[in-house]
Amino acid sequence: MSSPNEVLDDLLARVRGGGGNRGGRAGPAGPGQPIPWQWIASGVLALLLLWTATSSYYTVQPEERAVIKRFGAVIGTSDPGLHFKLPFGIDDVQLVKTERVLKQEFGFRTLNSAGRRTEYAADALPDESLMLSGDLNIIDVQWVVQYRIEDPMKYLYHQRDPEDTLRDISESVMRRAVGNRLGSEVLTTARVEISDLAQAETQEAMDKYDNGIKVLTVELQDVLPPKAVQPAFNEVNEARQERERMINEATKQANQEIPKAKGEANRAIAESEGYATERVNQARGETARFASILAEYRSAPDVTRTRMYLETMNKVIPSVGAVYVTQDGKTGPIPLLNLQGRLPAAVTNSEGR
Amino acid sequence: MLRIPLLIAAFLLLLLLRSSVFVIDQAEQGIIVQFGEPIGAVITTPGLHWKTPFIQEVRRFDKRLLPWDGDVSQVPTLGREFVLVDTTARFRIKDPLQFLRSVRDEAGARSRIDDILDSVVRDIISGTNLEEIVRSRDWKVDAKVLEEEALPRDDVDLGRPKKGRALLEKEMLAAVTKQMPALGIELVDVRIKRINYIDSVRRQVESRMISERQSIAERFRAEGQGRSQEILGQMERELRSIRSEAERKAAEIRGKADGQATRIYGDTYGADPEFYAFFRTLESYGAMGANTTLMLGADSEYFRYLESTRRRGSAGH
Repeated sequence: MSSPNEVLDDLLARVRGGGGNRGGRAGPAGPGQPIPWQWIASGVLALLLLWTATSSYYTVQPEERAVIKRFGAVIGTSDPGLHFKLPFGIDDVQLVKTERVLKQEFGFRTLNSAGRRTEYAADALPDESLMLSGDLNIIDVQWVVQYRIEDPMKYLYHQRDPEDTLRDISESVMRRAVGNRLGSEVLTTARVEISDLAQAETQEAMDKYDNGIKVLTVELQDVLPPKAVQPAFNEVNEARQERERMINEATKQANQEIPKAKGEANRAIAESEGYATERVNQARGETARFASILAEYRSAPDVTRTRMYLETMNKVIPSVGAVYVTQDGKTGPIPLLNLQGRLPAAVTNSEGR
Repeated sequence: MLRIPLLIAAFLLLLLLRSSVFVIDQAEQGIIVQFGEPIGAVITTPGLHWKTPFIQEVRRFDKRLLPWDGDVSQVPTLGREFVLVDTTARFRIKDPLQFLRSVRDEAGARSRIDDILDSVVRDIISGTNLEEIVRSRDWKVDAKVLEEEALPRDDVDLGRPKKGRALLEKEMLAAVTKQMPALGIELVDVRIKRINYIDSVRRQVESRMISERQSIAERFRAEGQGRSQEILGQMERELRSIRSEAERKAAEIRGKADGQATRIYGDTYGADPEFYAFFRTLESYGAMGANTTLMLGADSEYFRYLESTRRRGSAGH
């Protein structure tokens, strides 16, 4: 360690050297010339003034709040705008972004969100995102915690690295929330409940540490089964679809066939009703005819009988293929009409006469 | 050249001032130490403070809540599964004097906490089932979801944990606090940050999950087939009932009509059955066609007049 004197000598030598150079420009100044103390003093004064000027004001951006410390002790906070303070590091200013919504990502990292599409880091962070569900299945949960620094004083002076703590607590809380659910619930129905619970419990912890952080939201991102298991999960979905499809197809077939059968049934019934009407009408008609004939027959039974018989014969004989006449006691029947087509005419003729 | 001693004097004064004034930050607390021996009370108020120059020095300690992050340790649970446990804790330097005497600085404190917490975590985890560590006291199984899955999970007991995660964390805190000698440290909380299977167990669990899913898929398919068959069966039943019903109705209607017709015939024909027989017989003769051969007796009614005509008329015809 060099003594103060040596340091001073060294300094003077340097000042002289510098003065020499400057003198070289203004005019020749050889060694042995008197030191320009006035110049040095004014230079030092100017530097001092400059330092004073630059260190006695500060600007607070709209999204920030400033905490001012004098000799290490906090003397107050200030709002956005231009402010003055004591120079030379007597007053120290710490700026905290209190209005900005900040976020912590778990299980993934955003690389760049300035472009049209947000880019994410390619490699997953399985240590962060893999966790156990209540039925001891593994689930990959990615989430985001959005928060704001509500109280810059507490944020700076109640806890060291509150953000690291926020990360630790959020991981712990999320694992508790997921661990208290069945794996299939976490994947489907319980998302909202889990994020609400995680928000509330993380805030509770932050309040306990009194670190001035306000947890705004906890948002679940991708909640997936582990990579190796994903195809099996897809298979389940497909099978579910297949089940619906099979049920739908069967229902479709039933819907096609039952109305058709109902129609056919109605048709059969209608047909039978038609038959019934026909049959009854037929009976009525026939009996009415018979009744009329009977009534007439009764008034002259013998004549009517003979007439009916003869009329019938008249109608029957011409259309019959062959007529044989048999006589008791004679051999063999005598063919009356053996030439079809000609002899019936003779009979008709004889009848007509 | 009088100015140089003046400058030296000013410099020395500055040095003296520098050595006797010190700043305690808002986040800090300090102890004045003289030849390694703490002097006076702990300085907790931030700001400018004085000490004897050169012979006294200041030891500063953080006043804030400090994080502690444990190593990831591989521990077997009571059920003999190996898990990786990562714990985190928060502590505060409560008694800087004690702290200074026992561990000197934060690095010393951390290594002491490491030792104690590590062994406590191992003790508690290895004496507990994994379910107990993962679940909390308010664990309850949604029966509906379980039914949807319809999987009997023999390997996992779905009952409510006796202690649960939060209580275990409390136990850890209590055990550490009890075991920790007077280090001037207050441990605020201990939390299980991460708990996961080790890789080999994880692969086993994954393959179990795969087979589980596959069996669920299989069940869905079988359910589909079953439901489909059921629907088709119901359809068949309905079809048969519709058709037979129709047949029955049709037969009834026909029967009724036949009956009615029979009654009508009976009523009318019954008035003179002999005439009906005559009438009907004659009618049925009318139905005889060309391929019928009619045999008539020569003495039949029909030929009676035929003969007499032949007798009356000439044989010329």
